[in-house]
Amino acid sequence: SASVPAPPPLPSSRPEIAASGFGPAPNTLTEPVWDTVKRDLSRIISNLKLVVFPNPYREDPGKALRDWDLWGPFFFIVFLGLTLSWSASVKKSEVFAVAFGLLAAGAVILTLNVLLLGGHIIFFQSLSLLGYCLFPLDVGALICMLKDNVILKIVVVCVTLAWSSWAAYPFMSSAVNPRRKALALYPVFLMYVSVGFLIIAID
Amino acid sequence: MDPNQPVTENYANPKTCFFHVLFKAAALAFYILSALFIDNFVIIFVVTVLLAALDFWVVKNVSGRILVGLRWWNEINDLGESVWKFECLDQESLARMNKKDSWLFWWTLYLTAVAWIVLGIFSLIRLQADYLLVIGVCVTLSIANIVGFTKCKKDAKKQFQQFASQTLASRFSSTLSSAFSVV
Repeated sequence: SASVPAPPPLPSSRPEIAASGFGPAPNTLTEPVWDTVKRDLSRIISNLKLVVFPNPYREDPGKALRDWDLWGPFFFIVFLGLTLSWSASVKKSEVFAVAFGLLAAGAVILTLNVLLLGGHIIFFQSLSLLGYCLFPLDVGALICMLKDNVILKIVVVCVTLAWSSWAAYPFMSSAVNPRRKALALYPVFLMYVSVGFLIIAID
Repeated sequence: MDPNQPVTENYANPKTCFFHVLFKAAALAFYILSALFIDNFVIIFVVTVLLAALDFWVVKNVSGRILVGLRWWNEINDLGESVWKFECLDQESLARMNKKDSWLFWWTLYLTAVAWIVLGIFSLIRLQADYLLVIGVCVTLSIANIVGFTKCKKDAKKQFQQFASQTLASRFSSTLSSAFSVV
């Protein structure tokens, strides 16, 4: 009697991986470069949307910034430094260096503050979050650079300051013991206020 | 041509090697030359750090994959803990990797870090705090890649050893069971 031939094996679309335990299948090892670029760019945009704009995940900070990245924060810090530097009429280089150093060191110190208060956050995740929260202040600094009206500057800075603090609030407050919430949040607010002062006072 | 001459390997991925070296060299060159010719610290900072950041991205996401078949990143799992993930090609592909490619990869990584540290020492001697800021960022990026890829390589070796000992153990037990079944 004729034997039924076995069906041909399905062609595997991925390269064979060795035994278990190497993590996810090496799609990312063999993907084209353009895919990697697109993936990273879309991650920056989605992180920005998660942190700074209202969305259903805000109350669950664990989910909010799972895919942290430092490109967004890097860009926002540099942008703020550049804007402040352009607005300054003298000592442009010093302004930039001070702004960048202050923002970077500030993010590290704020993170250490939460950790020292016994809070549970991941160092890089926190740096990432604090960096993304600078986005409203970036917008504010840009507007202040373009329009030189003092009243307008004060209004814009207050609004963007409130926005930045609102963005940072859920993440920072849920990371610590409820009795220490104020201790964790107050320095963050203080830093944004000082940045706000810098923006207004820059001449 | 002498047929007994050993064939010397050429670079298997010349374009990737080129980009791997390009941004590193550009960042170092720009920093050194601009310190001599440009007086504007902001431009020096932004361009150098941008080139260093691009280099970091290229090494981590492109040349690491293509030249040595390794990849590393950090994830946050469901419990909210930070987990370092390492990925590598299977053992056969790794063994087939071009030797020249991987030699270039590792050595340029080390040399760049050393170069930045040396420049940092110069800045320290001249007490230029703002240039130290630039160098600090570049050194951090270089060292991050070195640490990441070294850990990834060690992890890969460990996985291969585990796999090899597992295969050995399973083959041994199957030989034993087939020997006994014959009896």
